[in-house]
Amino acid sequence: MLRYLAKRGFTYLVMIFLTTSAGYFLAVSSLKPALLEQERIPRPTPEQVANSMRLKGLDPDLNPWERYVDWLTGIVTRWDWGRSPNGAFINAEFGDRVWISTRLFLASIVLTLVIGVALGVYSAARQYKFQDRVITSYSYLAYIVPAPIAYFLVQLGAININETVGNRIFFVTGISTPGMEPGWAQFVDMVGHYAVPTVAITLVGWGSYQIAQRQYLLDNVNADFVRTARAKGLTRNQAISRHALRVSFIPVAQSIAFTIPAIFAGGFFAEKIFAWPGVGSWSIDAISLQDVNAATATLAYGSVIFALGAILADFATTLVDPRVRVQ
Amino acid sequence: MSSETTTGAFEPTPSTVERLHVAGLHAPTDAVLSVRDLNVRFNSENGVVHAVRGVDFDLLAGKTLGIVGESGSGKSVTSLAIMGLLPPTAEVTGSVRLHGSELLGLSDKAMCAYRGNDLAMVFQDPLSSLTPVYTVGAQIVEALTIHNPAMSKQAKEARAVELLAMVGIPSPKDRLRAFPHEFSGGMRQRVMIAIAIANNPRVLIADEPTTALDVTIQAQVLEVLHTAQEETGAAVVMITHDLGVVAGMADDIMVMYAGKPVETGMVDEIYYNPRMPYTLGLLGAVPRVDVSEKSSLIPIEGIPPNLIHAPTGCSFAPRCPLATDACLEGEPALLPVAGSGPHSAACIKSDSLGQDVDGHEVFSAPPVPVSRFDAIPRNERATVLQLNDVRKHFPLTKGALLKKRIGTVKAVDGLSFDIREGECFSIVGESGSGKTTTLLEIMEFHKDQDGEVVIGGISNKKATDARTKSAMRRELQMVFQDPTGALDPRFTVYEVLAEPLQNAGMDKPAIRKRIMELMKLVGLQPDHVNRFPNQFSGGQRQRIGIARALAVNPKLVVLDEPVSALDVSVQAGVINLLDKLRAELGLSYLLVAHDLSVVRHISNRVAVMYLGKIVEVGEVDRVFDNPRHPYTRALLSAIPVPDPHLERTRERIILKGDLPSPLDAPKGCNFATRCPVFAALPAPKQEKCLTLEPPLEAAGPSSAVQVLEAGSAEPVDQRFACFFPDGELDEEMLVVHDSAEHNAP
Repeated sequence: MLRYLAKRGFTYLVMIFLTTSAGYFLAVSSLKPALLEQERIPRPTPEQVANSMRLKGLDPDLNPWERYVDWLTGIVTRWDWGRSPNGAFINAEFGDRVWISTRLFLASIVLTLVIGVALGVYSAARQYKFQDRVITSYSYLAYIVPAPIAYFLVQLGAININETVGNRIFFVTGISTPGMEPGWAQFVDMVGHYAVPTVAITLVGWGSYQIAQRQYLLDNVNADFVRTARAKGLTRNQAISRHALRVSFIPVAQSIAFTIPAIFAGGFFAEKIFAWPGVGSWSIDAISLQDVNAATATLAYGSVIFALGAILADFATTLVDPRVRVQ
Repeated sequence: MSSETTTGAFEPTPSTVERLHVAGLHAPTDAVLSVRDLNVRFNSENGVVHAVRGVDFDLLAGKTLGIVGESGSGKSVTSLAIMGLLPPTAEVTGSVRLHGSELLGLSDKAMCAYRGNDLAMVFQDPLSSLTPVYTVGAQIVEALTIHNPAMSKQAKEARAVELLAMVGIPSPKDRLRAFPHEFSGGMRQRVMIAIAIANNPRVLIADEPTTALDVTIQAQVLEVLHTAQEETGAAVVMITHDLGVVAGMADDIMVMYAGKPVETGMVDEIYYNPRMPYTLGLLGAVPRVDVSEKSSLIPIEGIPPNLIHAPTGCSFAPRCPLATDACLEGEPALLPVAGSGPHSAACIKSDSLGQDVDGHEVFSAPPVPVSRFDAIPRNERATVLQLNDVRKHFPLTKGALLKKRIGTVKAVDGLSFDIREGECFSIVGESGSGKTTTLLEIMEFHKDQDGEVVIGGISNKKATDARTKSAMRRELQMVFQDPTGALDPRFTVYEVLAEPLQNAGMDKPAIRKRIMELMKLVGLQPDHVNRFPNQFSGGQRQRIGIARALAVNPKLVVLDEPVSALDVSVQAGVINLLDKLRAELGLSYLLVAHDLSVVRHISNRVAVMYLGKIVEVGEVDRVFDNPRHPYTRALLSAIPVPDPHLERTRERIILKGDLPSPLDAPKGCNFATRCPVFAALPAPKQEKCLTLEPPLEAAGPSSAVQVLEAGSAEPVDQRFACFFPDGELDEEMLVVHDSAEHNAP
């Protein structure tokens, strides 16, 4: 198993290197931070601009290949991902951003999964009954409604609660209130900030898991091996929960692992709307600010997360499905 | 018995049940399982389907009841109703008593006390009947845990090992931790049997337990069922469509048709003295592997009735050649047959049918067709297909990025045979023996193939352009196994048949004329050409498939398991049609089939394949009556014959294990690992089998004579690849069932 993981890990490492390199070439040949500098007042001379860029390692006069070699040497020898046009170090900003994104999404991912799969099983066991219809209709609705709109609705709801209570319980934007003393008050403040985005992302996210889990379970409810289990003396519900459930979880486990990177890397709507400056919004900002190194770094981060997700998917499948276990 | 309850809901009153008890096969007191007036109805979009209409039987401890019927006869629904495994939408009425206590109407939870404990079941498809994500051991232990919660973990494990050993799984202790996908089909069915007998059930229901398996594996599994019954003393209900399978096993037989038992009785009575035309037809519809004299099979025209409408007369009347107006007045009851022991038949003419009635006359089976080629000696006829040393080896590789060759699968390994005009040549063998690959190699017809394929004088080595290939395609056509899958559901029959003709460049009026001819030729109504395939029954669809193959007037038709997807009575009609077409049109067939009875019936010559090689080839009667290769002998002895006396007394070779992986094939004779002769040989002779590859040669002093070459004087058309064809057979692989006794290994 370890050898297998190591092998897969190596494959993904090569893949990450290739995507990141390709991304860098694309960024370096299309993003021109020097042009933005020229819009400053007082307007700097081209020489000044080039000079300041050169100092930040963004020399516009070098050709893309030379800059690529410089950039790569920096990463390999010093783990230095370069600087932004405004002089900030990517390494420093990157750590902050990743930490914010992780905090924003981790709780919702776990909740989405647990609630989605549980509701899928619940509704499959009650196929076509009232509960099933309500839950499944909701899931399709969550599919259809664009995420930003759903987030706004949750924000409005939270504001409504705040107004009704007459106290600011929920914070619809921001990570924390600055200047809080550590202790109980800070904890309450943190929960108040976490609640709204977590609820919003979870409400939107669980639908797909619910639909998938329900569908795969229903496919297996009448399988021959469930009949065998019943013939052994299990009741229908026991046979389903012991035999059909695990088989139906195999494809869900795979899809879970692949949606996690999508949430992390593609979460800019949530980050923008709830004003949590994470990796997602950074990647968009980097492009609008002509920031070659930041754009490449977010891209690299996306590939790493994707590779982790893929390995996780392999791992999860291997865990639940003995048929794919490596000898 | 049930005729008065076919309409409206049935309410069991004591008097009804009493009356039903009297009508049973046996005295009801000592029966393990008594089924009375079992009715099952399903709601469907088109109305209520009355799938089972009044089934009665008693099952005695240690006895076997065979329920025989075609698809849709209600036999599986009956067994599921007894087990309480029908979907909740099914409406089940009547009475099912286990040791006197009523099972029908029990809740799912209450039934669980019986299921897997007193009542156990083995299902048809072993590949899908085991949960893929749990080990075999866990699944056996689960069956024990459910009914013996107090049993210790060690005791359960020990019992599981004991069960696996009982059903003949080698090194059972290690195999406990294996997953179902690591087992072959036959092995999985053994595991299913082990699960079923885990708690020593009183009743064991086996629903087509061997239908999905190869004949040699079928023989093994039937043997295991025998052992299981002996070990547990359970009463067995054996459900099957194959009259051969139950002939040797069953004590009683119940023949079902359209949801109703139409004939019941002791096994000998049913086979030797059938009193219902349907039974008579079924018995005559199965070809026999042990009979060389050729007679046409009995085709039962028509299809079983739709069970949405309650039949007003005898449900078999529309297909029965003896039907008169009296048959249409009310459904005949299952009444005792005068004279013979416990034997009942649901036919108003059962008294006039007796031992002296010949099914062939009753059903007016067609005469045996005679081909104009039959009179011409084989070596004077033209060759339509010739294979010279054809090989197909698949490399077995490992690794995702860098492929490493770790071995070769020799799917077809040096095959040579020829087919002459007007003859039917069959290839038989277990799955994995290379039959299908051989067909694909012939159809491939490419110059880069390893070996030469000559079709109608055109060699694949010279077939470089599309024109030659297209000429070849007109010589050779194919009929596929699954008639439903082989026809485009969006094409009408006309379009299906017109396509090959258009390719051949015929004009429209000619195509139309040819299609009408074809429809008549295969026994379909010409005015049905505008229908879609789903409006035809399975047998009719196969006829369409045959018509399509014949459209371009080929010389050779390749038949890939042409009847294995069809019911027995329908199968007989298609086989008769193939026989007739061969004679009338002077066709040659290359038939691939796993059913040796069909092969014997239809072929002139046969080749037995094992792991990509022909191990025995020759004239069909010679090979079947006097098989020389131990594998042929084992194959033939594994085929069940619809003759109870013969089945009980004949000696059977039960091969050990499955077809070995081609990777493990020994250097010398491929068959050595499973060979019953090899196992009994002294070591020096075994050495020869293991190191030298036996050549395919004719027997006796004339072995030097090249049989297939023209001009040799009176050659014996039989060649085989074995050094010791007359060797003693290993005692352990021989099984004989005496009428009641049997000595299983």
